[in-house]
Amino acid sequence: MTGVKVNNVLGSLGLGILAILITVAIFAPQIAPYDPHDTYKWMERPSSEHLLGTNDVGNDILSEVIYGTRVSLFIAFTVSITAIIIGTALGLIAGYSSGVLGFLIMRIVDIFLTIPRMVLIIVLAAFLTQSIWNLIVIFIIFGWMMTARIVRSEVLTLRSQYYVDSAKMLGGSDRYIIWRHILPNVVPLVVVQFIMEASHVIIAEAGISFLGLGDPVARSWGTIFNYAFEYPNIILSDAWMWWMLPPGLCIAATVLGLTFVGYALEERLNPKLKTVVGMEA
Amino acid sequence: MHYINKLAYYLVIILIILSINFFLPRAMPGDPLAYVLGENPDMPIRMTEEEREMKLAEYGLDKPLPEQYVDYMIKLSKGDLGHSIYYKNPVMDEILIRLKWTLLLTGTATVIYMPLGIFLGAESAWARGKKKDTLSLITILTVSSFPSFVLGTLFVIFFAFKLGLFPLGCANTIGATYANPLEEALDILHHLILPVATLIIAHIGGTYLLMRNSMLSVIGADYILSARAKGLSERYILNRHAIRNALLPIVTMAALTIGFMTVGTIFVEKVFAYPGIGLLLYDSVLRRDYPLIQGIFLFISIFVVLANFIADMAYVWLDPRVSDE
Repeated sequence: MTGVKVNNVLGSLGLGILAILITVAIFAPQIAPYDPHDTYKWMERPSSEHLLGTNDVGNDILSEVIYGTRVSLFIAFTVSITAIIIGTALGLIAGYSSGVLGFLIMRIVDIFLTIPRMVLIIVLAAFLTQSIWNLIVIFIIFGWMMTARIVRSEVLTLRSQYYVDSAKMLGGSDRYIIWRHILPNVVPLVVVQFIMEASHVIIAEAGISFLGLGDPVARSWGTIFNYAFEYPNIILSDAWMWWMLPPGLCIAATVLGLTFVGYALEERLNPKLKTVVGMEA
Repeated sequence: MHYINKLAYYLVIILIILSINFFLPRAMPGDPLAYVLGENPDMPIRMTEEEREMKLAEYGLDKPLPEQYVDYMIKLSKGDLGHSIYYKNPVMDEILIRLKWTLLLTGTATVIYMPLGIFLGAESAWARGKKKDTLSLITILTVSSFPSFVLGTLFVIFFAFKLGLFPLGCANTIGATYANPLEEALDILHHLILPVATLIIAHIGGTYLLMRNSMLSVIGADYILSARAKGLSERYILNRHAIRNALLPIVTMAALTIGFMTVGTIFVEKVFAYPGIGLLLYDSVLRRDYPLIQGIFLFISIFVVLANFIADMAYVWLDPRVSDE
C-alpha cells in the first residue's frame, strides 16, 4: 500500500516541478524582467532591480536563467520526441519483420550502445560549429537505440500472443495489426523511455555546455553555469550564489522532476519492467 | 562458439571506432589540413599553393582515401596517434603521462561505489515499502539528479574553500618536496578525496537502482520461499540466496558504469583541475587540438569497449546458461 502512495506523491511532485518549468519556458518573454542580451552595470549584487544580480558582461542573470529554461527544455524535448519516434519505428520494424533488415537494425543498436556515446558527442561537438541545432542533431543520432531495443523485445512478445494470431488468421493486414494491436501496447513503454531520454539529454547537454561547447548565443543552463565557472575567482566572492547556483539547481530540478515522473510511471505501468538508469555527466 | 562470436563482434566495433576516427576530420566541413595543423579563425594560415601541396603530401592527405586509410591503420598498429598541435609531442606520450591520474581517480571511485551501491540497493529492496527503503530511494534519486560538475563545484566551495578541509584542486601540491613516499601518498590522497566523493555520489544511483530492482525480482522467487520455509534466518537468506542471484545483472552493468564513469571523469577533472585524460580532453577541445582530441576519443572508446568485452565474458562464466543459446 505504502509503495503505491509513495509513487503517487513522487509522481505528482515530479509533474508539479515539470509543469512549473514548462510554463517558465513557454512564457519566458512575459516572465523575464529584461531581455537576456541587454547589458547593464556588470557584476552587480542582487538588488530589487536585478533579483539575481548581473553577470560579467552586465546581462540580468535572472532573465538569462529564465530564457535558459527555454533553451535547455527545447533541446531536451525536441531530441527525445524525435529520437523516440525513430526508435519506436525501427523497433517495430526490427521486431515485426525479423528478416535481414531486423537483424541489421539490432546490430546497429548493439554497436551504438557499446561505443561510449558521450565521448563521441564531445568530439563531434568540437569538430562542428557551436549551435543548438548541431547539438540537437548529434543527440538524436545517439538517442534512439535504447527505445528501439525495448520496443523490439516487446513486439517479439506481443507477436506470439493469441490475439495477434487470431487477428492474423481473420485476415488482418500487417499494418492493421501493428496499429491496432502492437502499437497501443508499446506506447506505455515508449512514454517511460521518452522521459528517461529527456533527462539524459538535459544532463548531457549541460555537460557539453559545461565544456564550453554549447551555443554562445542561445545560452542554456549549462552554458550559463560554464561562463560563471570560468569567471576568475568566482568562488572567492559570493557571486557563485546567484550566478552558479540558480542554473545548477534548475538542471537538477528538471532531472529530478523527470526521474520522479518516470519512476512513478514505471512502477504503475509495469512493476516488473526495469530499465537501466545511468547518468553520463 | 559463443566466445568466437563475441570476439568477432567486439573486433568489428573496434574497427568501426577506428574508422570513425579516420573519417571525422575528413568528413567535416572545412580544410582537412586545418585539423592537422591547428586552426585559428582570427589568423587563418596563409600558404602559397606549393606550401599547401607540400604540407598535404607531408601528412599524406594528397593520396586517395583508401591509401590514406591503410597508412592510418599501419601507423595506429605502431601506436602512432599523430602529433599534438599544442604540445608538439606525440599524442600517445601526452595521453600516457596523464593516464595514471585518471586511472587512480576512476579506479578508487569504482572500488568504493560498486560495493556501496550493491549494499544499499540490497538493503533497500529487502526493506521494500518500509520507511528505510523509501527514504534511501528518495535520497539517492535526489542526489543523482545533480550533474557531477554541479555537485563537484559545490563540494569545492563548501569543503575546500569555506571549510578549508581539502585543497581547491590538482592532484598534488604544486612544487612540493616530500620528505618520504608516505608524505607524498598522503598529499595525493588529500587531493583525491573530493573528486572521488563527487564521482561516487554522482554515479551511485545507477548501481543502487539496478541492485534494488534485481533484488525485488529475486525476492519473489520460489527458492527464497523455500529457504524461508526451511526456517533459515532472514540475514542468511539475504546474504546467501538473494544477493548472490541478484548480482548477475550487475556484472553487465559494471561495464556500462565503467563507461559512464570514464566519461564522468572528464567533468570532474575539469572542476578540480585534476590533471588526467579528462582535463586533457577539455583543454584540447578549448585549443581545438584535433589530433589530441581524436587520440583521447580513441583511447577512451577502446578502453570502454574492452571493459564491455570483459564483462560479457565474465557473464558467460558466471551464468553458464547464456552460452547454451
